[in-house]
Amino acid sequence: MAENKKDFDIFEVFVQETHLDSHIHVGSLVAASPDLAMQMARENFLRRDQAVNLWVVSRSQITATSYESPFFSREMDKTYREVSGYTENGRLWRMFKEKDMDIEEIVAHVREQSNPVAQEEEKPERRESR
Amino acid sequence: MLTEEARFQAFMDRINRGEKIEATDWMPEEYRLLLIKLIHMHGVSEIMGAYPEKEWVPKAPTLKRKLAIMAKVQDEVGHGQLLLRVVEDLAAPLNKTREDLIEDIYKNKVKFHNVFHMEARSWADAGLIGWLVDGAAITIQASLLQSSYGPYARVLKRVCAEESFHMKHGESIILALATGTPEQRKMLQEALDYWWESLLFFFGPREITPAVDRMLYYRIRVLTNEELRQKYLDKYVPRIQSLGIKIPDPQLRFDREKNCWVYTDPDWDRFSRMVHFNEGPKSRERVEMRRQAHEDQRWVREALLRARKQAV
Repeated sequence: MAENKKDFDIFEVFVQETHLDSHIHVGSLVAASPDLAMQMARENFLRRDQAVNLWVVSRSQITATSYESPFFSREMDKTYREVSGYTENGRLWRMFKEKDMDIEEIVAHVREQSNPVAQEEEKPERRESR
Repeated sequence: MLTEEARFQAFMDRINRGEKIEATDWMPEEYRLLLIKLIHMHGVSEIMGAYPEKEWVPKAPTLKRKLAIMAKVQDEVGHGQLLLRVVEDLAAPLNKTREDLIEDIYKNKVKFHNVFHMEARSWADAGLIGWLVDGAAITIQASLLQSSYGPYARVLKRVCAEESFHMKHGESIILALATGTPEQRKMLQEALDYWWESLLFFFGPREITPAVDRMLYYRIRVLTNEELRQKYLDKYVPRIQSLGIKIPDPQLRFDREKNCWVYTDPDWDRFSRMVHFNEGPKSRERVEMRRQAHEDQRWVREALLRARKQAV
């Protein structure tokens, strides 16, 4: 009995749904080895969802912040780094009889020019369950 | 260094601001123990909930039904694994592992839901479990999505996504029977007659027990048993009635003045004994099967561990 105590390792599971996604943490499991953790991960987390890649990482290998530390605190206004910090542009462009333009508009425009089949492959259908 | 009292107050402030608590955060012992009790029971209920349905895998009427009910059984066990994982992290400081959490089932140290002590006598029972038992479980789980404990709420998000399939699966079996022969409709009525009381019991006693009171305080839960039962009746009574089957409770009605459902109490004593002492029609048999599955495979788990130790 004592032998079984704390012997199965905890593995954190990361799923990459498509090549254009990063690996996303989905949960954890216990297993006797990384190989078995991989099998368990597929059974526990991918019975329906698609994936192109799977990571299992021993929890002991993860270094994490504390939820209670001020590590992420922001002492200063960071809107100068963000789109929301530049709302003034729209009003100024209108003075020049032009509309405000965002990056989505360029991305959409560039896509319009490319092969429609290639677009399909880049953006596979996502499952709704998330 | 914070005093114990200030620490507790800071914790409660976080809860009351609607923040989520994580496994690595400091938490009051009472909060930890309440979570362990609730989630252990939930996880074990998922696992024991696979038994009444697995009994119908070999007897499912068509191949498609067989595949679907197998998928459902697998989901339930999968949910059990995700939930036990949450308990393990909470119970690690108490030196409890997966082994202990499973053994607790056949050592009668953990309860599971009353409905899984009952017999799935017919295919209509199997369908009704999928429709109405899962419907009740979904109602409770949907409310727990707001739980103050982050790891539990996250697992429930995944569980609920899969429950959406269970809902359709149960409805599909019921609708096939409801649109079938008079014999099939009779089976459906008999299933409802057999399960109705246990469905009401499923949500727990009307009164707010001390444990529930504390869970509400810590926002582990956000609704009382009775609030959940009422929400369930809101959604399911009209649908059951629309099928033309009769709910076996002559007192059941919606009271407009009190703005709530009035119903005949289930036999609280009988079901409570079932849950506390494993005295239901199928309790002993299923708990014994769980014990066998766990004990018979012990050598596999031990061999895996030995193989790993040699590799190191």
